[in-house]
Amino acid sequence: MSRPDSAPPPQANPPVRHGPRVPGPVETVVFAWRWLRRMRTALYLLGVLGLLSIVATLVPQRPNVPGTVAAWRAGTEGPGRFVSGLIDAIGGYDVYGSRLFLIVLVLLFTSLTACLIPRYRALWRLRRAVPPRSRDLSVHPEQASIETAAPPEEALAVAQGVLTEDRWKLRPDDADAPSQVAAERGLLLREGGSLLFHTSFYVLLVAIVAGQLIGFSGQVAIVEGEQWADAPVGYWTYRPGRLWSEADHRGFVLGLERFEVEWTDDAQPILFRSTVEVTEADGTTSTETVGSNDPLLVDGMKVLQLDWGYAARVVVAADGEIVHDAFVPMTATETAGLWHGAVKAPALDPDLGLDLLFLASAPEGLNGPEPTGAPWLEEPALLFDVYRGDLRFDRVQNVNALDTTAMELVAQTYLRENQALELDGSVRVAFPEIRRWVAFQISDRPTAPVLLVAAGLILLGLLPALYAYRRRVWVAVTTDLELGRTVVSLAGRSFQRPEAFSGEFAEIVETLRQRLGTPSTGGEGEPRPARETEVVPR
Amino acid sequence: MTAAELSETLFSPVTVVLYGLAMAAYLYAMAFTRVDRAEGDAAVAGVRGQRIATTLAIAGLATHLGHLVARSVASGGRVPWGNMFEYSSVMAFGVVLAGVVVFQWRLKRPEVVGFLILGGLLTMGAAALVWSEPGPLVAILQSHWLKIHVFAIMAAATIFTVAFIFNGLFLLRDTAERRVARAQEAKLTGSTVGAAYDATATEVADPVTQATEGRRNPDDLEAVDHDRLYGDALRAAINPLWLFLGTWVGTATIAWTFWYAGDVNRFFTVNTAMALAALVAWRLVHRLPSAATLDSLTYRTISFGFPVWTFAVLAGAIWAEQSWGRYWGWDPKETSAFLTWIGYAAYLHARATRGMRGRGAAWIGIGAFWILMFTYFTVNLVVTGLHSYAGLQ
Repeated sequence: MSRPDSAPPPQANPPVRHGPRVPGPVETVVFAWRWLRRMRTALYLLGVLGLLSIVATLVPQRPNVPGTVAAWRAGTEGPGRFVSGLIDAIGGYDVYGSRLFLIVLVLLFTSLTACLIPRYRALWRLRRAVPPRSRDLSVHPEQASIETAAPPEEALAVAQGVLTEDRWKLRPDDADAPSQVAAERGLLLREGGSLLFHTSFYVLLVAIVAGQLIGFSGQVAIVEGEQWADAPVGYWTYRPGRLWSEADHRGFVLGLERFEVEWTDDAQPILFRSTVEVTEADGTTSTETVGSNDPLLVDGMKVLQLDWGYAARVVVAADGEIVHDAFVPMTATETAGLWHGAVKAPALDPDLGLDLLFLASAPEGLNGPEPTGAPWLEEPALLFDVYRGDLRFDRVQNVNALDTTAMELVAQTYLRENQALELDGSVRVAFPEIRRWVAFQISDRPTAPVLLVAAGLILLGLLPALYAYRRRVWVAVTTDLELGRTVVSLAGRSFQRPEAFSGEFAEIVETLRQRLGTPSTGGEGEPRPARETEVVPR
Repeated sequence: MTAAELSETLFSPVTVVLYGLAMAAYLYAMAFTRVDRAEGDAAVAGVRGQRIATTLAIAGLATHLGHLVARSVASGGRVPWGNMFEYSSVMAFGVVLAGVVVFQWRLKRPEVVGFLILGGLLTMGAAALVWSEPGPLVAILQSHWLKIHVFAIMAAATIFTVAFIFNGLFLLRDTAERRVARAQEAKLTGSTVGAAYDATATEVADPVTQATEGRRNPDDLEAVDHDRLYGDALRAAINPLWLFLGTWVGTATIAWTFWYAGDVNRFFTVNTAMALAALVAWRLVHRLPSAATLDSLTYRTISFGFPVWTFAVLAGAIWAEQSWGRYWGWDPKETSAFLTWIGYAAYLHARATRGMRGRGAAWIGIGAFWILMFTYFTVNLVVTGLHSYAGLQ
């Protein structure tokens, strides 16, 4: 017997060589959409996002530590100028503000959208899916059989009842095979949970981006006994989102009544608490406290205690006229018990600048104040370097530091609280009082409730997505003519977590056995796994 | 004796010794226990060893709990998880507790408990490397969220540590099984001479025998012989030198942190301890559950830990919003916690993808644990960020 010759005749279809084809715009879009629709693509993009954030973890970021970045760029710190240039080329000093990060984020959003839409459609179709019948019950991992005196139709009806009570989805009766019940469960819950999880993650990302656009965050320092009003000009640092407008400020007033700080004996801070007087935009006044983990909500804006320091009142008078009288907020330095600040008095000619060092605890020793390093007040001393010259107000100024490039150091001295001294005859400097200042962060995050809900839904979706399992059960009946009994066969298959399904299947069998009035005999009717091998759950 | 001293003594030597003995007893019992699980028969031998092991492990857990309570008292009554030493100690406790309660009593898998205790001991060793004196908490940590967020992070890290042990054992056992199977295939297809006398050939061809390996009736001398031959083949399939070196180098990618933060001795100690642990697993590879079982245990453990980690990160964001004024600031710790989340999410996705199941997914799981260790040790000890509570000077 010879085979029919099915081979094509030679050169029947000579290969046509096309030149390099340029895909059209529609084709490109379709191709891109298909690429983005793959789960793998979304995972790759998430991976790239992860890699970028590793870079941001290891490389100093300009918005957080501008000083360190400047040092890396200059080559005085970090891996040197060459590597630094490479980092700069990929935008490594501001990863989260870089174009690459934006592109990856946009692609990830598109990819997640492209992944989710077809799954929603599939879930909608799944709603109406009918559990399939099984031709051969003996192929399934879970098996059991029950003998009963009840007629076959009744046995099937009872089985349907048991499964319906247990909220199984049954195959509707049809004329073809009245001798079998097919039921399914868990698919909607598992797939629905997974979709809820992924959708919530998507919403979370959208809310984060939206929050950065319409939100606001700013910082302000208030000295004890002073007041501050929420207005664009009042902030030390001002970080509005792109879509934040100055009219969005509420205009409430904060007055810092007092600030408490407590330390252990070895100077570990254990308590920071501010007592503030709040005057809301509508004029209502109340006294509140702001603690370390205890922010305050005023007119929908969050007031959070960030930092604190000492504020020395420094009065500078020249020829009897006061040219500077204010509390100078001083920031903590790396040395324990030492704070730093600056006074700038451009009203004098030449300009006067004071570079201040504040020692919180410095009892008088043989050679003047001897700092103990403790952060609490104990014979505090205000050390200052007096500079005369040009304060260089033509340059960008740092509030807490002097630009001494055009100034000359004329004196170095110190004052105790309530002391004053004369400098070169006409200038008088006094240190009448020490207080504290507290830095507050004032922020408005309108999408925060959305984030909270999305976070909750992520968890809510995750549990069924991981633990719900899709399983099917079949019940068939045959009549044993010799004994005149009905044999009910059950079979079950689980697509995930077979170990959990085994127990559930046994329970179904037991319930059915009781309903059919068959005593639990052990032996024949016992549910038994079809195979002895260990089953691997997905 | 002060509470601080008591806590230190209970940690080491008391708990370390008890765990060490318990581990030895569990591993010893593994070699003698032959239970046919399907029949439910009592173990023929090694039951006593297992009983002693359980008693020792429970005693160790009790003294470990005592250590944690004493530590809490010595720190002024706060929860005993405020710095790195304490986190590690609690995690070691969690690993051993999970071993006895979940895997021995609930899932009836006493053969993995010895390795979990070994993991607990290694965690305690890592804790000892970052030892710090008990003391009160810094102001920012005084919050209810400390209990919630940090506890959830520790719980998830504990679960992931357990999963990592299973994952490592899976890779070892799977490699051995595959190599033996491949060798048999080559032998059988190459030449049929001698195949009839090759006891291991039938073992490999029959998955049922493979799965129930090590749990058959010892009266059946032939079966014992089969077991022994197959066991020998499994052990011979892995080159201990390569395993030692691989584990040593793999561990070094994290352990350099100890060098950076401490001294070179710690670096060598950590690597060598991990590599020796791998050798212990190799020596007992034939007593391990089948690769399929270990794979399933890994997956179940990770899918249990993942929601906990998710919750912990979300709780951390809520706490950060209260404490630092922003829910997410790409602080190094936040970033790497997010990366850990991505790593384990990738594992779960890999398991759901047909082509990636088994070894591919397992290596992703190892990678995810590597990120977790990076998050824990490297970010704590090397990178400066807002989460610098390691408690080290």
